[in-house]
Amino acid sequence: MNIVSRGPAFVPGRAAWVVLTILVLLMLASLAWGAGSVTPLEAMRVLTGQSSDPDARFVVGELRWPRTLLGLLVGAGLGSAGAVLQAATRNPLAEPGLLGVSAGASFAVVLAISFGSGAAFSGILVSLTTLILLYDQRSADEIRFWVIGALGGHPAEAPSWSVVGTAVGLLMLLPILRPLSALALGESMATGLGLRPRLTRAWALLCVAILVGTATAAAGPIVFVGLVVPFIARRLVGPDIRRTLSLSLLAGPAFVLFADIISRLLIRPYELPIGVVTAFLGAPCLIAIVRGRRLPNL
Amino acid sequence: MKLSNRYTPKSWFLHCARAISASLVLVLGGIPVAHARDIPTAKGIIQVEGTPQRVVTLSENALDTALAVGVLPVGTVATRGSDTVSEYLQEQAGTLSIVGTAREYNLEAILILQPDLILASQALSDDVYAKLSLLAPTIVPAAGTTDDWRLTVSTYAHALGREDEIEHVYKELDVRIATLRERLGEPRTVSVVRWMPQGPMVMSSKIFTGQLLHSVGFKTPVLANEQGKRPHSDVLSLENLSGIDADWLFLATLNKEGADTLAAARKQPAFTRLGAVQREHVSTVDGQVWSGATGVLAANVILNDIEKVFLR
Repeated sequence: MNIVSRGPAFVPGRAAWVVLTILVLLMLASLAWGAGSVTPLEAMRVLTGQSSDPDARFVVGELRWPRTLLGLLVGAGLGSAGAVLQAATRNPLAEPGLLGVSAGASFAVVLAISFGSGAAFSGILVSLTTLILLYDQRSADEIRFWVIGALGGHPAEAPSWSVVGTAVGLLMLLPILRPLSALALGESMATGLGLRPRLTRAWALLCVAILVGTATAAAGPIVFVGLVVPFIARRLVGPDIRRTLSLSLLAGPAFVLFADIISRLLIRPYELPIGVVTAFLGAPCLIAIVRGRRLPNL
Repeated sequence: MKLSNRYTPKSWFLHCARAISASLVLVLGGIPVAHARDIPTAKGIIQVEGTPQRVVTLSENALDTALAVGVLPVGTVATRGSDTVSEYLQEQAGTLSIVGTAREYNLEAILILQPDLILASQALSDDVYAKLSLLAPTIVPAAGTTDDWRLTVSTYAHALGREDEIEHVYKELDVRIATLRERLGEPRTVSVVRWMPQGPMVMSSKIFTGQLLHSVGFKTPVLANEQGKRPHSDVLSLENLSGIDADWLFLATLNKEGADTLAAARKQPAFTRLGAVQREHVSTVDGQVWSGATGVLAANVILNDIEKVFLR
């Protein structure tokens, strides 16, 4: 089995700097552009402390800034969760949303996958959901509004509590990074190295559940981030989970901020839910991955 | 809100008047025989004979109208986001058999009810119409949701053979509106907003509630006036929230989740900056009526709410 099907496009360190620069620029853009009337120039005046317009200061300080922070956290959580999930399942198409890792189902999924019957159990969960939706027209009707996430319109304290969840999820990942990257060698090899693949996987999925649960609680479900971000990260720095994960922590926020800025500008003075934009950006990416000559082996 | 507040003493007069006129007709002319009527609909002219006895209403507007002219349907649909009829209709509707939701109907359940008239909504699809019209004459109103709301109500009422009753109800409503308009005095601007988890949606002033607000002399914000044929806007950016500011703000919630969302919205700094909020000119209203319903009974609920807010 080929572990590295293609060399990284960038030297890892350089890739990180490039993505970090893009992220900083996107953060500035996220403060500069919005669906409202405060122009980028006025926003820059606010940031440099030269603006005396209370409305502009309110928009930048109380609306765009918390929203940018929320985007950073949600992006970091979803990007890293995607990278870990793909490594743990050794499936480059794994996406937290696709596996149904949401607040309610997450623990069951963790249990199910760690006991080996992943696909079957996932199927059961999906059919249960469908069954409930069929029997309860109310939820089927209502759920549409609650299934697409958005960064706007959230309580101002959302960033402060989601930073806790994201940090816990990421810290819990630290002890399993090495075992996770060894998993790429194959289960028997990893066992031969004295590791316990099932335990590693269960722990990884628990972390994924925490990260995705936090992001979803903060902004609602945002699809495709967990798929696209690790894919790009792998292209840039190669398949090792430690590198992919670190880069996903930068690329995730960048992707989410980019999508959020688009969501504000397309139908001003209204906004699209960011989930719609990430789906539009992510779907072509998914097709590209699937149609690519070969899927990277993880 | 208590149900008992929703009906004015006037509806008692209406019932009495109706009973008296009905007995007069009985005494003077025997049992009235309704003639076959040609009802213009979106699907062409539909002929309805006699007085329908087993009516199925597939829109809340039709149910509202049927109840307003004294017809109790045999089946109806659940309101959006619920598995029963809207709360404001529950007392009068009792336990009607539910044959679907606003968008999907259980054709077998309708068949079992053996309807002799089906009152559908404008949104009925062609293939469902084809099937329903085999069961009974099916009325799909020609007027859209942004046209004068009484056009649709009249279509339903005429199909029910209740032309006189609906004219009477209109007259009563007109008197109520004129009185209220006078008592409200100088025109105010009012804003109707539905708050979703993603943020606020501006309700169009062209649909039923907006038409009613205009009729009692209220003005509506520009954002509500420029929605075209859509019932409500996309999610409004909080940066542009001042666009919904008005002399009075009506916040519509559809259910428990909506109420929670609204409670969160009230803590938004962008929300608390609104002039209406700072003057505490904000009311939470039943979204099933204010942002979803159409009909005479709904109109009276909204007028009750307006009286409660402005004429205390």
